[in-house]
Amino acid sequence: MRLQTKLALFSAASKVIILLLLVLGLPTIVHKVALLNTDARLMQKEERMYQIIEKQGIESFITEGDAYGSYNLFREEFISLEEISSDRVVNNIENSLRKVDNEIVNYRVLSSTFDLGEKRYLLEIGRSLAAIENNSNTLQTYALYFLAAVVLLTVFTDLAFSKILLRPLTLIIKRLQRVEHPSAFTPKELNTSTDDFRYLNNTINQMMGQIQEAFQKEKEFIGNVSHELLTPVSILQTRLENLLSDPETPDSQLEKLVDNLRTLHRLKNIIQSLLLVSRIENEQYLRNESVDIVHLAEEVAEEIKERAEAREVCLKVELTGDYTLTKANQSLLFTMLFNVVNNAIKYNKPEGTITLKGQPLAKGYELAIIDTGVGIAQEQLPHIFSRFKRLHAPDGESHGLGLTIVRTIATFHHIDLSVQSTLGEGSTFLFRFP
Amino acid sequence: MHTLIVEDETGLATELMHFLAQEHYLCDWASNGREASEKIAVNRYDFILLDLGLPDYEGMDLLKEIKEVDHDPAIIILTARGALEDRIKGLGLGADDYLAKPFSLLELQARMQAVLRRKFKLKSSSVAFHGFEIDSSARRVTYGSQEIVLTKKEFDILHYLLLHKNRILTRLQLTEHIWGNILEDDYDSNYIDVHIKNLRKKLSTHASTDWLETVRGVGYRLTV
Repeated sequence: MRLQTKLALFSAASKVIILLLLVLGLPTIVHKVALLNTDARLMQKEERMYQIIEKQGIESFITEGDAYGSYNLFREEFISLEEISSDRVVNNIENSLRKVDNEIVNYRVLSSTFDLGEKRYLLEIGRSLAAIENNSNTLQTYALYFLAAVVLLTVFTDLAFSKILLRPLTLIIKRLQRVEHPSAFTPKELNTSTDDFRYLNNTINQMMGQIQEAFQKEKEFIGNVSHELLTPVSILQTRLENLLSDPETPDSQLEKLVDNLRTLHRLKNIIQSLLLVSRIENEQYLRNESVDIVHLAEEVAEEIKERAEAREVCLKVELTGDYTLTKANQSLLFTMLFNVVNNAIKYNKPEGTITLKGQPLAKGYELAIIDTGVGIAQEQLPHIFSRFKRLHAPDGESHGLGLTIVRTIATFHHIDLSVQSTLGEGSTFLFRFP
Repeated sequence: MHTLIVEDETGLATELMHFLAQEHYLCDWASNGREASEKIAVNRYDFILLDLGLPDYEGMDLLKEIKEVDHDPAIIILTARGALEDRIKGLGLGADDYLAKPFSLLELQARMQAVLRRKFKLKSSSVAFHGFEIDSSARRVTYGSQEIVLTKKEFDILHYLLLHKNRILTRLQLTEHIWGNILEDDYDSNYIDVHIKNLRKKLSTHASTDWLETVRGVGYRLTV
């Protein structure tokens, strides 16, 4: 997941959690505040009542034995005053049910007793709980709208800000995605005020530079090795060939000359194989062709057909479908398939068969080269692609680089190569083209 | 055929000159770029064998100089660097062929002949020998009016033997010629023997093939 997505998700999630907590906690808080508020108002009213009573006297409310009561129109509030005979002193605020005009209403009631003259009076001031609830609900709704708006706004600003903040990182990643190989990388300055990104960019530039330098050095080294090793081989070869065609060379020496040429050929082959592998790994080959794999396999079969006939091996071609590998190098792919089929011929049994079996996959193409040859022992299988591993012919002139070349070319083209084999029964080389 | 060999390795140049002299080429040698540049300006060469890796001169520059002289000599590039870009660049700059070191002298001669034929548009590409006739451009072999159907490899072997007639060709030289630059784990001379056997079988239905000799332990020779 991208960093930007993660940050956005985190920011949204944390805000949603805060919002949820508020939604859960808000009614309680608002309710509490509303009650406190009501209590304060009730006490204010109590104070005013006392002032009025002091000024006008209790008689303006109560005449002998009677009680005073006053409601406002919707019975949201009431004030009552009565004379009580008990000795108890009350001074509290609590919820209680009152019956008003045959209707039971829940009130927040302030009850307070006071003595005046010889008598004790009870003053009650009440406010309907429904009215309080109503007020607090309205408050609550508006508070929620406001909070949701704030959360939404901050989520969007967070998103925009993180996008702007992370833009240099996105740029670096895009640049790296475009580069298929370090040698194709061009260092660029990054225009940002964030030190971390600048450091990251500079480090990448620097390291890519080092890789490029190493690649360049390796390239020069390969060139030099190639020149220095192949030039003497070249001189020897021409000298031996001249001797071979010289009429004055006695016949008895000819066979020795041929032996020398063979040894020299082997040396040349080893040098060239190693150079080929190094050059491929050093990205000195172009991948600028589109290669029809089915056609290529047929071409290899055609080219090698006579070798199979010479060894009395039956070469079958069973290719179905159609597949073109883009960004490929035709001659390298030819070498790759040729080497495998050639091995299959070389290590086959008389009357054996080789099958080139190809079929399209859901994604890509699968080409199997199946032989009925001597096979490879299980414990040898992991090593067959290693350099200088000679599996079959300790006495032959094989230098064991053939399969190394095959694997190097496959890797160069991102082709998946696997081998299955049973000793004495044959081997299958399976190429999966991407 | 006046030929200039531009090669800084004395050993190789000596062998090349020795070989080409036998093949009746008139040879000149320049061991460095400066000398080559002078010789190209003064003399008129038909053929130039150019080593690109010269110590004192950029091989590509020399190639450009050669292309500037007015009589347009044939050029084959010889190089041990074998870098791909050199090859593309060289052929792009007008070289006629490209041969990576180490190469067989016989292969060089075959390439030189092919270049000359192409360059100077030699018409007759067929050669007669012992009653057979081989047409290298049509890739046909005939005996009288009858065509002998050969496989690609069989034709190539016969053609190569004929090109180097009266000379022993080793199995290795024939293998390298017909299989080209494919890098093999090892080479198997058995394939050549099978091809020769088939070739003899096909040709001998028309006439004797005594002229295609086996030189024991060495190779084959076509005598004319």
